[in-house]
Amino acid sequence: MKKFAWEHWVGILGLALLFVGSYVGLVVAPPERYMGDVQRIMYVHVPSAWTAMVCYTAAFVAAIVSLWTGRRRWDAALVGMIETGMVFNALLLCQGSLWGRATWGVWWDWDVRLTTSLVMLLLFTGVLALRSFVEDAEQRASWSAIAAIVSYVDVPLVYFCVRWWRSLHQVQSSPETVDPLMVFPLRTNAIALVLVAIWLIARRARLELRRRQHEEVGEPERREPIHD
Amino acid sequence: MTEITEGVVTGGWPNVIAAYTITAAGLLVYAWSLVSRLRRFEEKE
Amino acid sequence: MAEVSSMPPQDVRESRPGLVRTLVTQTWTILRKDLLLEWRGRSRMVSVVLFGTVTLVLFSFAVGPDSTALRAGAAGFLVLALLLSSTLSLSESFRFEQEQRALEGLLLLPVDAIALFYGKALASTLFLCLLAPILVPIALVLYSVEMEPMALARLLLVWGLAAAGLTAPGTLYAAMTSRLRSQDVLLPILLFPLVIPVLLGSVKAMALILLGDPMSQLWSWTLLLATFDLVYWILCGMLLFSHAIEE
Repeated sequence: MKKFAWEHWVGILGLALLFVGSYVGLVVAPPERYMGDVQRIMYVHVPSAWTAMVCYTAAFVAAIVSLWTGRRRWDAALVGMIETGMVFNALLLCQGSLWGRATWGVWWDWDVRLTTSLVMLLLFTGVLALRSFVEDAEQRASWSAIAAIVSYVDVPLVYFCVRWWRSLHQVQSSPETVDPLMVFPLRTNAIALVLVAIWLIARRARLELRRRQHEEVGEPERREPIHD
Repeated sequence: MTEITEGVVTGGWPNVIAAYTITAAGLLVYAWSLVSRLRRFEEKE
Repeated sequence: MAEVSSMPPQDVRESRPGLVRTLVTQTWTILRKDLLLEWRGRSRMVSVVLFGTVTLVLFSFAVGPDSTALRAGAAGFLVLALLLSSTLSLSESFRFEQEQRALEGLLLLPVDAIALFYGKALASTLFLCLLAPILVPIALVLYSVEMEPMALARLLLVWGLAAAGLTAPGTLYAAMTSRLRSQDVLLPILLFPLVIPVLLGSVKAMALILLGDPMSQLWSWTLLLATFDLVYWILCGMLLFSHAIEE
């Protein structure tokens, strides 16, 4: 009887909260004063953005630990965190673009936060691209950790840079979220997506560990656990 | 499409639906890819 | 190469044999070696300059003979030419070591990874700075930009800061990608998104120098560039480079 992995509980809870939060956000919450129903995109957009940042920050920490200790579980975690972060990153760009189309009339507006997100996606795609070309597992681990650290440090620099770049052209428009019926779906979905992200990261990390085992051992029948 | 009359955006539900659908689809596709790849490893063992 | 400082037994303060001095000496040696190699293969240098020039001309053709548009974009074209040229020179900077397997040789000697990084990064920066005296006048002519001589000094300073911003992460990534198959496409993929602050900062700064700075913003942009440089010269050199080249 296989053990029910811990992350499944987290994932199920996350999924449940996501349904609740989204339902409230789509059906129960009132339309926003200026933005009307388009506001409802915020109930997935803002949580996705938070989750992406959480994933990338976790990746940054995992990269440092991976470089420091050299243990493969941290490299596996790094891969999971970057990939999951990229999924949410890509999603937030789509959501933001749809929101922008409805409110600004254009699909892309060089909004500060969306532009920084785009650069983040490019940065971390590069890290994964680097990985795919390195064959030695240990070198792959230390190099992707280096690239992840360098990329993460860049994010605040990019943000401030783009903000100054745009400051003469754009007034930042943040939607108002004061009504408690608006705060609830926002918070609930934020927690929900982070939990879902944890499930995704854990699954991806396990996959990476299995892959690496098979890489080294060669034959799938050999089942000596490689402790790390 | 959305209309903007007197500073209030009306309509825009298609964008909302699209955003939620893309989010759900994206997460599902990624999750499914992980599950199926892991399953392939477990079958080998 | 390692200096041993002879010390009188009573001088306890000097118990560590000149660590900083050793690093500086090693850095200087590597810098000289790289510059010498560049000079010996100066046809390569000429090619990079030519490449930068061709790029500047291409931008004119891309935009069209509209002198207003060209003047407005002049700073951007210059920085892009610098960026594209830098990928050529950076991917070269470890090719010598790759071909002669000299990297392993260097590491066998007591050369600190830190010194290796700073030596190479400084050499690359100097090389990129040498492009400025040639590319800037060409750009001024092609894009019909009038500029007073005093502004030239400021422009060169910004150019130097931009070059430094490119070479710090560039040297780090070049060291890694030089050992991989698709190095020529990987280096740009990794570097270009990373140096967007350098791109933005230097373009804004140069545009202000070339076209006028009514609100005195030049200082903020220069500061941004300098901050990026400081962060990455420390991060890449002191903390990360040694991990990038260990076997």
